[in-house]
Amino acid sequence: MLNYEKIKNDFPLLSKQINDKKIIYFDSSCMSLKPRQVIEAMNEYYFEFPACAGRSSHRLGELVTKKIKGARQAVARFINADEQEIVFTRNTTEGINLLANSLDLRNGDLVLTTDKEHNSNLIPWQVLIKKKGIRHEIVKSNDDSVFNFEKYKELVRGVKLVSMVHTSNLDGATIPAKEIIKIAHENGALVFLDAAQSAPHKKIDVRDLDVDFMAFSGHKMLGPTGTGVFYGKYNLLEKLEPFMVGGDTVEYSTYTDHKMLQSPEKFEAGLQDYAGIIGLGEAIKYLEAIGFDNIREQELKLNRYITEEISKFPKIKIIGPSDSALRSGIISFYIDGTDMHQTTLILDEMSNVMIRSGQHCVHSWFNDRKIKNSARVSLYFYNTMDEAKIFIETFNKIIKIL
Amino acid sequence: MICIIALIVFSILGIFSATHRVLAKEALDCVFRRVTLRPCNTGFNEKIKSQLVARLLNRSVFAARIFNKYFEVFSWAFLILMVASTFWVVKGGYNYYLYGSCNGLNQSGFCAFDPKGENNKVTEINVQCPEVEKKEENVTLDNVDLSSFPTKNIGSKNTVVLIGCYECDYTRKAYPDIQKLVKEQKTNYTFAHYPAKETTNYLSEIGYCVYKEYGERFWQFNDYLFTVDKVAIYGKDYMERILDNFEFDVNKINQCLNNSETVDAVEYQLEQLQKTHLYGTPTVFINGKAFVGPKPYRVYRTEIKKFIIF
Ligand SMILES: Cc1ncc(COP(=O)(O)O)c(C=O)c1O
Repeated sequence: MLNYEKIKNDFPLLSKQINDKKIIYFDSSCMSLKPRQVIEAMNEYYFEFPACAGRSSHRLGELVTKKIKGARQAVARFINADEQEIVFTRNTTEGINLLANSLDLRNGDLVLTTDKEHNSNLIPWQVLIKKKGIRHEIVKSNDDSVFNFEKYKELVRGVKLVSMVHTSNLDGATIPAKEIIKIAHENGALVFLDAAQSAPHKKIDVRDLDVDFMAFSGHKMLGPTGTGVFYGKYNLLEKLEPFMVGGDTVEYSTYTDHKMLQSPEKFEAGLQDYAGIIGLGEAIKYLEAIGFDNIREQELKLNRYITEEISKFPKIKIIGPSDSALRSGIISFYIDGTDMHQTTLILDEMSNVMIRSGQHCVHSWFNDRKIKNSARVSLYFYNTMDEAKIFIETFNKIIKIL
Repeated sequence: MICIIALIVFSILGIFSATHRVLAKEALDCVFRRVTLRPCNTGFNEKIKSQLVARLLNRSVFAARIFNKYFEVFSWAFLILMVASTFWVVKGGYNYYLYGSCNGLNQSGFCAFDPKGENNKVTEINVQCPEVEKKEENVTLDNVDLSSFPTKNIGSKNTVVLIGCYECDYTRKAYPDIQKLVKEQKTNYTFAHYPAKETTNYLSEIGYCVYKEYGERFWQFNDYLFTVDKVAIYGKDYMERILDNFEFDVNKINQCLNNSETVDAVEYQLEQLQKTHLYGTPTVFINGKAFVGPKPYRVYRTEIKKFIIF
């Protein structure tokens, strides 16, 4: 059971008001709120030990090194990986770019994605098509937006890398990652998972999944902005050529040569966002204390209610599986021929309900279907039934003018 | 299109309020993007529309629906109203600057800049059975013989005629400005006393005689009559002392006053003044154009140093 009073106390924004009305934040897929503990951990770094990690041996330097190690261990434990397999990045996008630029992909190599990829897991491959002549194939979803396993099995043969979004930010649907990975490995392919939307909402065990690479963002899971994680199996990381090098990536250098450090250091070029990384470590501890079962239960309850309520209007189309239980904390909907921006703006104006509208960086999916855009409610454990009711109440008014 | 409308509307509103200035800036950015063939990145029009629809929706779904549907039409109508009213405000301000009243020269309709209409107030004069309606456009110098009135700076390009009454507050208000104008612009200047108040009617004749007998020295005397406390000129009794103070020969003046020629001349003068169809004092003519009521100094001045747009 969630202790909402404590949660409310931990997240300062939940007590804030605009025009004497509570703020209802339903845009956590884009950016989650941050608990006090995370903010305080970051402030502590700036106030108490704002030094370098891994370089300076004075006491402050030592303390930062220890804190960063602690955060790395927390992340490793969070996804059941080894410490050396955790590379800190700025975000998911940087993780994918790291992979795209470091993996030895050559002319003719095939990369397989879903049809619901965020631009971050599409554009890097499109660039490599131009640069190196790799190939890119897409596994189209079934009509009900569910992953088409049969199609996948056909396409995976001869693939070098399967690079897929674990939970889609478009509709909240999650792919059967374990089976996908198993089949990919049977076909000699490596697998990358874009876990930007799954890591904040479900327990991920990289060992159990046997996934080769994975990336996610700290800011979508209570962490500071501009923090992210790239995971790779250690033996694979050792083989990757870092694409960004310099300070902190080498053991030593001469005027003509250098010796690279091992993973993860060789991927973390230059001074890092120490405050952010420490904050991310704190966010993970907070999430673990809340527990994914509780998170899922709350999201399911709210998603079911909102889905039922907005489904009463026949002109509303929900993107993704009709069963709300398959859509994590996301309800993405549209009305044919209607610009959904207006809906979100009015929701904000009338009731301080903050949701996102647009193509959610999955332009390819919308363009392919000639759908203008969608409005997206994305929930997290700190959202409540009362908030969902206010949203529905306001939405019921707005729908009358659309 | 909406962003252009919004730009105009918010620029105008922005003159008065800072929040609208921010919106005007956003609208400008939107116009700029449109001009450079890019979409508005701000979703500006939707933002404005949604804010308005949201407010309406809290009151009436029907109104919100109509407004939402015909938003473009409403914004055009609003723009037109806004531009029209701005035009009137600007024109009012311009008129006020130029003529001291928002509605044009000598027009006494309501004017926000001069809410009490001070610039058009006159001391009304009673002409029995006037031949023409009391209207400012009928006030004229045509066929009026002013040759016997005190005049100075003869031969100047611009002419100023002040018809006023010594005892009247509005003439007294305008008087210093007219003197300043005449002095600064070196205009031809004629002064005519109009006997609008019984207590000081006798001053027409006194003025006539002082001018006749002493010429230029009349002007100092005239200044005095307009600036001294009104009570001091209410009766003939005080007048001898005043004349004496100015070192005018009281006997000479009295002789002049008793002369029947003087009575005829002053009567003739009054007839001439009535031919102007004036309906109150002060009435000032600058190069033949009538200014009824005490105007701000700049109004008189701009009539001589012109810049007229409308
Ligand atoms: C599925 C998915 N992948 C990738 C990203 C990119 O994340 P970031 O912007 O943190 O790099 C997002 C962000 O919304 C996402 O939802």
